[in-house]
Amino acid sequence: MKVSTRGRYGLRALVDLAVNAGEDPVSLVQVATRQNISLNYLEQVFGTLRKAGIVISIKGAGGGYKLAKLATEITVKDVLEALEGEFAIIDRVPNSSQDGVQKVIEKLVWNEIDRKVNQFLEKKTISMLAKEYQAGLEQENCMYYI
Amino acid sequence: MKISTKGQYALEIIVDLAMHSDEQHLESLKNIAERRKLSEKYLERIIKLLKDAKLVKSVRGAYGGYCLGKPMQEMTVLDVLIASEGAMAPVACLLDEIECAIGKEACPTRATWELLWKEILYSAMQVTIADLIEQVEDEKE
Repeated sequence: MKVSTRGRYGLRALVDLAVNAGEDPVSLVQVATRQNISLNYLEQVFGTLRKAGIVISIKGAGGGYKLAKLATEITVKDVLEALEGEFAIIDRVPNSSQDGVQKVIEKLVWNEIDRKVNQFLEKKTISMLAKEYQAGLEQENCMYYI
Repeated sequence: MKISTKGQYALEIIVDLAMHSDEQHLESLKNIAERRKLSEKYLERIIKLLKDAKLVKSVRGAYGGYCLGKPMQEMTVLDVLIASEGAMAPVACLLDEIECAIGKEACPTRATWELLWKEILYSAMQVTIADLIEQVEDEKE
């Protein structure tokens, strides 16, 4: 039971992009280096994020990527749904012959886990992750100077 | 990121066993397998995991069989899922299974995955096997 590499790397790279965003677009080469992710792979992932309207790409010299909206308006749910589809704790196979036990388990357990997780993912924005990340980095730099 | 059919069946088996057995009335694998439409072989594998976690117990012999290892009010869905599926961590670095190229402290997302994991664990912890049975009985009426 794991989040796929696409979801993990994609989210990490997007937070990196948000933290390092300025006036100019951020080059994927830099994101790839900082996050230790292959550039080739990252290009594919960002292609998907672009199609989902989460980032925009700017071509040409000094080109790269920018968030398509404010970081406060992009949720982790948006990103994960673009990269791996909607979160669901089990594969629901259409089954008309579900018995009472299965129905109750679905209602009280699986649907409830999905609801809670989706609520959480909806609450978490890229801006929140970026702030956490920045705070972590600053702490690490302090340690370095000591 | 999914709970496999193993975890799903484990939960069904526990509920089924809770409904059809107690300390004085043990239930046979054959009956459980029939009701749950599972092969006895597959059922045995799942029961073994549940037995190792002391969620079911067995008595050998002619009048042998299975019942729950502790009261169903005290057994949560989380107990059953941990026994059958493992820790259910959404990413491996939460279990220290892998060394990541960027290090835990410097990771922009690890804390988020950890919270997501906790949502799953807390949700599963809040439902007991007794809750499930009560609902099954309610819906029968």
